[in-house]
Amino acid sequence: MTVEAAPETVRGLMRAGITHVVGIPDNTSGPLFHETARHAAIRLITVAREGEAFAIACGLWMGGASPLVVVQNTGLLEAGDSLRGTALRMAAPIPILVTGRGYEKMSRSGLGAGHGVSLASLTRGDVDSAAVLTEPTLTAWGVPYRICGEHDDPVAAIEELVARAQESERPTALVLTRALP
Amino acid sequence: MLTIAQLLEPLARHRTDEVVVTTMSVVRPWGRISDNDLDFASADSAMGHAADLALGIALARPGRGVICLNGDGSMLMSLGTLATVVEAAPRNYILVVSDNGEYEITGHQPVPAAGRIDHAALAEAAGFRNVFRFDEARAWTKRVTEVLCAPGPTFVHAVVEAGEQGPIGRGDHEQARYLRSSLAESARSVRAALTARPL
Repeated sequence: MTVEAAPETVRGLMRAGITHVVGIPDNTSGPLFHETARHAAIRLITVAREGEAFAIACGLWMGGASPLVVVQNTGLLEAGDSLRGTALRMAAPIPILVTGRGYEKMSRSGLGAGHGVSLASLTRGDVDSAAVLTEPTLTAWGVPYRICGEHDDPVAAIEELVARAQESERPTALVLTRALP
Repeated sequence: MLTIAQLLEPLARHRTDEVVVTTMSVVRPWGRISDNDLDFASADSAMGHAADLALGIALARPGRGVICLNGDGSMLMSLGTLATVVEAAPRNYILVVSDNGEYEITGHQPVPAAGRIDHAALAEAAGFRNVFRFDEARAWTKRVTEVLCAPGPTFVHAVVEAGEQGPIGRGDHEQARYLRSSLAESARSVRAALTARPL
């Protein structure tokens, strides 16, 4: 498989040197899983639960590979102890692509960055609490992150994510709140 | 039942260049009989994820055997790993569940369904290529080389006696060399050892 022959997102991963994609698909990342599965240059490892993904990714890194973890923000929250006990504790340069469920609803509701977490925001019927908790949780866990929104180039952002993780030698996240190409 | 020594000593004798990942009550007993730069203790780490970490190493280094010495409590924390392993299908992966029926480290509390849940049957139903069950030392000692040579993914359910291991730390107070460095240092050390060798 040449870089030119792969779809745009997979091309970006290949340029960034990613060898394995590890995670669970959702509606946003589904096309990435689909395309990765079709191209032999990058191995797809679909896990049963998100916590597995961080430990597998750390094992891959220990073995000399360059994995990318792809999970929805709900799965990120589920995987807290695994992320803490593997990638963070090891200071492993694992790039994490977090697809952001609920960001559109959160935006429509008038809540935004810096809104803070409150019982009121977590229980509002027009808000998805997964989105409310994503960034405060990443901050609390000490995982640096950036947001990739509607006006950003997701392929460039993923390539930059990989570079940031490697440069900083720590798990680093990109929260994707828009569709992939 | 096997004692933990009866489980580990034949494995240490026949182990050649495999990576060995340990966790929980197996960590110190393995560290007493093995001092190898490809030993890694999943201690001071994420609960229930040693088998996943070992899977990652096996997938990155397909030419090298990887053995995970897991506990039954740890296995129960992430049973979905069985499906993930089968899907990934690493031929170089051996998952050993040391089943003492309890959380030994925290003071001998029984795990859920202790003595009733059949880990070998779970692995077989999940689709592991080779599944072994041992509840006495002679059969294990006799077949350990067969286990090591079988094409994986391979699962070993070993019924063992509980020991007296307490909470595991990292630092100079620990006897085993692989517990004297931090998790981050230990991970980098194994990484350096692995990447210095051919795939």
